[in-house]
Amino acid sequence: MQVFITSPWVPPEFIGAHGLEPRGVWFAAEPSQLPLGAGICAFAQAMIRLAETRPESAFIFSTHCDQLRRGFDALTLTLPGRVFLFNLPATWQGRVGERIFGSELERLGSFLLKIGGYPPTAKALGESMARYRLARSRLIEAGADCSARQYGEALARFHWDGTVNLGGEAQHARADGIALALVGGPLPTWQMDLLDAIERARGRVVLNATEAGERSLGLASQPEADYTASHALPDLLQLLTRSCLERCVDVFQRPNTRLYLWLKERLAARGVRGILLWHFVGCDLWRAEAQSLREAFGLPVLLLAASEARSDALRQSTRIQAFVESLG
Amino acid sequence: MSAAPRKLTLDEWEGRYAELRRAGLQEASYGGPLGRHVLEERDLRLRHLRFDNSAAALGLWNFLLSENERLAQARTRGDKIVGAMKDLGTVPVMACALRGVRAFYPDGAWWTPCLMECSDGLLQQAETLGLDASFCPVRAMLAAFQNGEHFPRPDLLICSTGAVCDDFSAIAQRLEKLGFPIEWWEMPRRRAPEPHETSCALPGNLSAPQVQVECVRDELARLGKLLGDLAGQALDSAALAEGIRQANRVRRLLATLRHAVYGSPGVPLPALEMLIAEMLAIHFCSDREETIRVLTGLLAEVRERLELGQSVLDEDAVRVFWVNPVADLRAMNQLEDWGGRIAGSDYMFTHALDLIPEDLPPLEALARTALADPMVGSTLDRARRIVADCRAWRAEAVVVSRIPGASHCAQEGTLIRQLVREELGLPAIELEIPPICDALLPTLSSRIQALLETARAKRR
Ligand code: SF4
Ligand code: SF4
Repeated sequence: MQVFITSPWVPPEFIGAHGLEPRGVWFAAEPSQLPLGAGICAFAQAMIRLAETRPESAFIFSTHCDQLRRGFDALTLTLPGRVFLFNLPATWQGRVGERIFGSELERLGSFLLKIGGYPPTAKALGESMARYRLARSRLIEAGADCSARQYGEALARFHWDGTVNLGGEAQHARADGIALALVGGPLPTWQMDLLDAIERARGRVVLNATEAGERSLGLASQPEADYTASHALPDLLQLLTRSCLERCVDVFQRPNTRLYLWLKERLAARGVRGILLWHFVGCDLWRAEAQSLREAFGLPVLLLAASEARSDALRQSTRIQAFVESLG
Repeated sequence: MSAAPRKLTLDEWEGRYAELRRAGLQEASYGGPLGRHVLEERDLRLRHLRFDNSAAALGLWNFLLSENERLAQARTRGDKIVGAMKDLGTVPVMACALRGVRAFYPDGAWWTPCLMECSDGLLQQAETLGLDASFCPVRAMLAAFQNGEHFPRPDLLICSTGAVCDDFSAIAQRLEKLGFPIEWWEMPRRRAPEPHETSCALPGNLSAPQVQVECVRDELARLGKLLGDLAGQALDSAALAEGIRQANRVRRLLATLRHAVYGSPGVPLPALEMLIAEMLAIHFCSDREETIRVLTGLLAEVRERLELGQSVLDEDAVRVFWVNPVADLRAMNQLEDWGGRIAGSDYMFTHALDLIPEDLPPLEALARTALADPMVGSTLDRARRIVADCRAWRAEAVVVSRIPGASHCAQEGTLIRQLVREELGLPAIELEIPPICDALLPTLSSRIQALLETARAKRR
């Protein structure tokens, strides 16, 4: 059974160890959308639609934003037993976050058993964790050698099936473009034309910090334990909890200084000249960061609304072009 | 001093005030004629509101509108000021258990653009700080912090995070980046206990697993230490238990007041004064003892009116259950002008109205109460309570008022209305009230009057 995940911080390795197929939503086919209600985030609505149109699959929503929490509320009426809400803690400096995450993993385990998964052995979980860790490190290394589109798709595919598939020959990014960072919310494959539009405008995305982009590989600075060594299941669960929380770099964290530190290092190292802030209309968490990003990094920030990419792609291309030119 | 209950304009209150003074009105130190708030603090909206004509209501308004002034005086006296944010009802109970500490909600700046009819420029200023009209009006808080003209800068800022609205979370994060350090505490999204988990009963007929209660309790213990350090005295169990008892005095008074007003066939106190009175529960308007005095006065007034069979409105008024606070206070007056009355409310802080358990260790009791927040759990939990309250108070219609830009409003209204219709068969509408709703009055009037008409038709 396929189990869709709406946040990169819900560990797919845990789902895989239950004999189920974790599927990061960013690679899914675009669901048919209904007209958007006022204030609703189109991505959150797409997740609701995806769940409604895939009756054979299970869905894990996460609590990181109001829109997904309330989307889950709506689905519990129509799809009871097939949706699960994973409480991602917002704080990260104290012990409470770890306790919440650990208990959520346990609860998720029970849910996975109910929908047909089998109880994971320590060996299966350890191997699954090791496989995902290896894939993440390979993807971190591969970033520099790929075009933005190729890398974006490879990351989405990794979230889909855990593989590292760079799609054949490396398609190097144009070397002469203006170095840009694409920062923000989810960029599903059905909206990755944006990456081409940026390249056409003579921009070069050297940092993809969208939800399922390079950022989703997270902080990997700590040397991690050898998961395949003989660990008891509870120890592995604790290791998994710690590594998930240590890796997490996101806008919803409070304070969200980890996001800024992660960006700071990479923006400087890659010579980024401007930030494209990709956001869905109705997404307060990302929209509110525009000014803080400008102030923190002293870089120009261009807001790109996901809705505009769809309704007025030409206008959005022109804006990107003007932005890149202004940096030239 | 008693007069038949009715609603007065600000101008009419001048005469009424003189009359009350002649009759020997005793006022608190913050008392005075209502009109001074327009002249001195530019609370221009008062000119377009209508107020209950009792001395008790005058006391309520003066108490509310003098909060910033009282906070500034407290600071001068050397009191410590705590800015509690978002949890609406928990941190102030802890802060007020310590001598020389006052807590307030900077979130209250939500209403400043309304009260000052946007002459404060807070919303425009918030926009220059990066928060435009796509965010809830609570963004005014950011500008109020920045310009320092509304409330004193708190000695300690505490904000709940996790299962809170995106607007507040994003705005508070921006505030911190502007140089106002925040102590964040985790509020998990409340969920039902799994079969294998220990279940804890929460106020409001809710439940949560023990692990969530323990997490919140640990967070509150951490905050208690910080508050104690600020106050220079430990916030021990005895002090906290006493703080809870006092908070429950406020909550009991409010419960009695709500039952008396919402449960009665007549209307002994208007909707606007009831909204303000309910708000006192969340942080006691920075003065717990005074809150108790003000509420006691209101309750006495209501009881007297009930005994005399007096009502501010026609008894035929349609009984409306109101969901969410209104960004423009005038909307409460308007509902009554159009033939409705409030018979039940969920202004997003029902957990601050429920009694805090007194038979549990104090931190555990507070943790359970905090987890009962209607906004941190499922919308369905909230909708179920609304349905139960509608039944209890015999509501005939439900209004879900949307808050412009609020992240939770995008989806919650549909679910609430759906459940209300399915369970009770009541007519329900959802409408948006901006901070100044004057331009929308024709639309609001026709929508609300249609709702009231539908409810009246059901009587027949
Ligand atoms: S884009 Fe923003 S609002 Fe939409 S689901 Fe993601 S975090 Fe939530
Ligand atoms: S009104 Fe709603 S969106 Fe605004 S701060 Fe309160 S809970 Fe958040």
